[in-house]
Amino acid sequence: MLITLDIVILILMILAALWAVMTRSLLRSGIALALTSAILSVLMFKLNAPLAAVFELSVCTGLISVLFISTISLTQPLSYEEIIKHMKDRFRRFRYLPVIVILAGIGLSFVKVRPNLILPPPETETNVRNILWNFRSLDMVGQVIVLLCGVFGVVILFKERVKK
Amino acid sequence: MMDKILFLPILMPLVLAAAIFVIPEKLRRAKEAMAVFAALMNLAVAIVLFKGNIILSLPWLGKGLEFSLRLYNFSSFIIAATAGFGFLITLYSIMFMRGKEYARQFYAYLLISISLVNGAVLADNLLAMLFFWEGLLLTVFAMIAIGGQFAFKAATKALIIVGITDLCMMAGIALTGHLAHTLTISKISLPLDALGSVAFVLLIIGAISKAGSMPFHSWIPDASTEAPLPFMAFLPAALEKLLGIYLLARICLDMFKLAPDSGMSIMLMVIGVVTILLAVMMALIQKDYKRLLSYHAISQVGYMILGIGTAVPAGIAGGLFHMINHAIYKSGLFLTAGAVEKQAGSTDLNKLGGLGRKMPVTFICFIICAASISGVPPFNGFFSKELVYDGALERGNLFYILAVLGSFFTAASFLKLGHAAFLGKSSRENEKVKEAPLPMLLPMVVIASVCILFGVYNALPLNGLIQPIIGTIRLNGHNFAGFPPNTMLVIITLVVLAAALLNHLFGAKAGGSGIKAADHIYHAPVLSTIYEKAEKRIFDPYNIGLKVVGIFSKIAWRLDRGVDWLYDTAAPKLAGISSRAILKLHSGSYSKYLVWSLLGMLIVIIFLTHSV
Amino acid sequence: MFLLFILLPLFSLIVLNLPFRAMMKKAAFWWLLVLLALQVYLAIGYVFGFFGFDLNAPIYPLSFSLNVDNFGCVALLSTAVVLGAVLLAAKYIIKEEEKLFNFISLLFIILAGSNGLALTTDIFSLYIFIEITTVASFILISFDKEKLVLEAVFKYIILSAVATVLMLLSIALFLLVSGKTDFSAIHAVLINSPHSLIVMFATGVFICALFIKGGLMPFHGWLPDVYSSAPAPVSALLAGIITKLVGIFTLMRLLVSVVNFDNPIRQVILFVGALSVVAGALAAAGQSDFKRMLAYSSISQVGYIVLGLGAGNALGIMGALFHLFNHSVFKSSLFINSAAIELQAGTRDMNKLGGLSAKMPVTSTTCLISSLSTAGMPPLAGFWSKLIIVLALWASGNYGYAALAVIAGILTLAYFISMQRRVFFGNIKEEFAGIKEPGFGLLLPACLLSAITIGLGLVFPFCLKLLKF
Repeated sequence: MLITLDIVILILMILAALWAVMTRSLLRSGIALALTSAILSVLMFKLNAPLAAVFELSVCTGLISVLFISTISLTQPLSYEEIIKHMKDRFRRFRYLPVIVILAGIGLSFVKVRPNLILPPPETETNVRNILWNFRSLDMVGQVIVLLCGVFGVVILFKERVKK
Repeated sequence: MMDKILFLPILMPLVLAAAIFVIPEKLRRAKEAMAVFAALMNLAVAIVLFKGNIILSLPWLGKGLEFSLRLYNFSSFIIAATAGFGFLITLYSIMFMRGKEYARQFYAYLLISISLVNGAVLADNLLAMLFFWEGLLLTVFAMIAIGGQFAFKAATKALIIVGITDLCMMAGIALTGHLAHTLTISKISLPLDALGSVAFVLLIIGAISKAGSMPFHSWIPDASTEAPLPFMAFLPAALEKLLGIYLLARICLDMFKLAPDSGMSIMLMVIGVVTILLAVMMALIQKDYKRLLSYHAISQVGYMILGIGTAVPAGIAGGLFHMINHAIYKSGLFLTAGAVEKQAGSTDLNKLGGLGRKMPVTFICFIICAASISGVPPFNGFFSKELVYDGALERGNLFYILAVLGSFFTAASFLKLGHAAFLGKSSRENEKVKEAPLPMLLPMVVIASVCILFGVYNALPLNGLIQPIIGTIRLNGHNFAGFPPNTMLVIITLVVLAAALLNHLFGAKAGGSGIKAADHIYHAPVLSTIYEKAEKRIFDPYNIGLKVVGIFSKIAWRLDRGVDWLYDTAAPKLAGISSRAILKLHSGSYSKYLVWSLLGMLIVIIFLTHSV
Repeated sequence: MFLLFILLPLFSLIVLNLPFRAMMKKAAFWWLLVLLALQVYLAIGYVFGFFGFDLNAPIYPLSFSLNVDNFGCVALLSTAVVLGAVLLAAKYIIKEEEKLFNFISLLFIILAGSNGLALTTDIFSLYIFIEITTVASFILISFDKEKLVLEAVFKYIILSAVATVLMLLSIALFLLVSGKTDFSAIHAVLINSPHSLIVMFATGVFICALFIKGGLMPFHGWLPDVYSSAPAPVSALLAGIITKLVGIFTLMRLLVSVVNFDNPIRQVILFVGALSVVAGALAAAGQSDFKRMLAYSSISQVGYIVLGLGAGNALGIMGALFHLFNHSVFKSSLFINSAAIELQAGTRDMNKLGGLSAKMPVTSTTCLISSLSTAGMPPLAGFWSKLIIVLALWASGNYGYAALAVIAGILTLAYFISMQRRVFFGNIKEEFAGIKEPGFGLLLPACLLSAITIGLGLVFPFCLKLLKF
């Protein structure tokens, strides 16, 4: 019962992702992306990783979607004719995708895997803080740098536009 | 430390030659002074080293290839002779080279040649000697090539002929080294068996070609007209004979045991005789002073080779004595030619005449040297030739007769030369000719006096220089000093000389002038066709060789075109096609790139996991 | 202690962007130069044992998973050299102070990211620092904001994102298999279960991700467009550091320290390397745009590095490392020369250029030296590294690949000489009659880099110690 529920959630997530790619409107794409992350975080909750799920939800569904939608709002939407012209063959472009998926599935079913997987223990709150500060301190430094980089990028790339 | 002095004869002239190159053009007198100084220094060193006995051995390339130099009586003798000639020629060249723009190079190359000869003579290791020997190739080329625009061809000819024979010598050295397991000359002593004969032949090819015998001789006449004259007086006349015969002597006496009745000995004697006769026949008909002298130089080498080839004490002593004598009088003869060229402006015998009155000292020196070369007693040539006849007679009558015949022709041609250049009426343009300046006269006079000295007092060179070289064992109790013991030979020689004089007088009267004195031989029935062909250089081995090479080069050229097509056309076309194909694939569409990447990844993963 | 390599740039960045910006702008340039010089000094010093104390001791109370070994030092060294050259070139090319300041800030980030990449011993940190460097490079490439550039960088972002995802997937698999993310821990586990399917799969995916980032065929699609349309100092930066460190250096780390480097992986790497070498060289030969040709040439040279890796023996890895450093040096020099030409002549089309060597002798000479070093001509440094790679290939039994490397070397020489002839030799066209050399700011880095190439080539036999690990 639990296994099938996981599979249903996975299929839902894939459908949402497909909707994000195939839809005609850019805004709806952004929303579909948020939906995909939300379903993913549900999956994570199910897999007993609540903190990861919370991070995923807040960062991806929240922050990223906000960023995307604000960026999209800055752009000029294409006119209707242009959209039709651009998207009319979208089904034709992805016609090979189902074929590949089915073939891959058949191929994978021949693969017999005996994984020796060591599942790490589920983390609690204090553990997370310990991990982040002590074991992964270098990564924290890295994260700081990435954030700064992002900030700089936005500033550098967009400052002139503002001036103009 | 004492043995390091052996470096001096090699390095000092080199360093001074470099100094000459550096002296600026304006200080012309400085150049000449430096050249004379260098030659003088070399002479001094040679005198100091004379009759010394030093061995220097330095490790060089390992495995028995040491750089060893050996000063003993033979090599010190050659060094002294070289130094002496070097000094005289340098003195002579001061006047001769004045005003010529290649003077600086000439002096430098001269000094470098002296250095190289010193090195080659001193070297006790075949490889070291080869090194110096090859160096002489370059200086010979350079010294001929600076003579003018036509000189380049002659220089190339010299380079190719001597270069090819040097290659044979290299092969010979390799074979000798392999047979004897060492390359140190003083330690090699091989029998003349099958392989030994091959090595012997290869080595002597190198030696006699350097000395200028047939069939490797054809560059010398060409060089004589093109190259600057002091070069001719120095190298082909003196140095090369000294060096070539030195090596020949060492090969025959020291390295291989040349027995009197071996095939090699007969071969050497045949080469000697052929050289004598053919060259002197060519010399007879020459109309240029210098070319005539050069053919004689070739011819006289034949005597040396004949002498050493006889492998009997008399012959060997004669050969070696002739070597030094020839060097003396041949350079003297060339010096007189130079004096004539400088004063009268030309060496064409048709234009010369009557110079005897105007240049008396030159004429007298010419007479002395010409008499020496013809074998007139009591000059030095007579004694050495008698020794060679003695040895040739011991080996066979035929050789003796042919040698004497050569002597006949030698005398005839010099009579012709002397008559044409110095006697007779002088033409109008020769009216103003004066005697040559002192620095040019001095060497000639010195040489002429040495001719007389070595002739009359021949015990000095024979006992002092030659006989120690041969060694008491081989001499077997002979002593060759003094008047030749075999009076029969002397009488035959005198008869031959008188016949030559008669022949000349007859020819001069028949032809009307000195030049035509030899024409009756020129136009003799069989000889005239041969002479015609020889004039056209059909017999010149060099030209024959060039024709053969030409065929090969045509074939090689065709091959080369083919290879070129492969490189120039096929490969770039192939590269171009594939390059364009690749560039077409890069369409710029990122989805295509992504597909490539994913496809690639798929292949990689399948490859990695399929074996698991 | 080496942590400072990462922290210092970070703090400098923060500090420099605080108020008092007017003074900070001038200070930024010089401070970065000082940092780079310090890095060079420390890197060389560490290898040659100048320092007596152990530089790896952790600074209490923070413990960072950093370690320095000779591998890392080569990466540090090449980072510092290339960044120095790029800095000097950028100072000359970018005229506005504000833009220059932004550029330098981004360079600080790249410095921090690359240093972290070189020094880390943890696979996840590796991933983070790769991301730092990549994202910073995105911004740097699109610095000028022209349409062509934006299209190219868009391709790069997409492909890089795919590579990132693949990397993350593979890291997750490694974590599942071994339970930790430390290099040594993973290595220990992988040794014991070498042929497990998941391990192979994870390795394959990671390697492909690194191929994409490093620009090897057939995963290289973004590379030519990005290299040719990015601004010149950024191209040098990309070619010199980013593709190298992010792609190839990480590959080296992976293969040497983490994965069990046995035969199937070796075959894959050899094949991809050979394919890159040949196809890159062929594509470069047909180019008429100078920078694009340099891009394809980079693909080819990176293929050489990977070939060296694929040989599998210590000699091969040493050759690969050395070629990595060499390539950074001479490719940066070539890109700086292309910047000079573009600046002075206004075009990059080689068919239109010609005869520039009379007017720009220094540029022509440095270009010639770098080209010859790329082609592997003695006694320049490129010759040694290529020689070692070919010898390593031969020693490990891959005779065909060794022969291929040599033949491709000839092809390399061909297109470089043809480039040199088209651009520099020959007769000068009228429209270029008035050009001069670019200013000192561009000549200095080119000359320095050429000097390094020559010097390294001459003293290489004495410096073998630098590359032993």
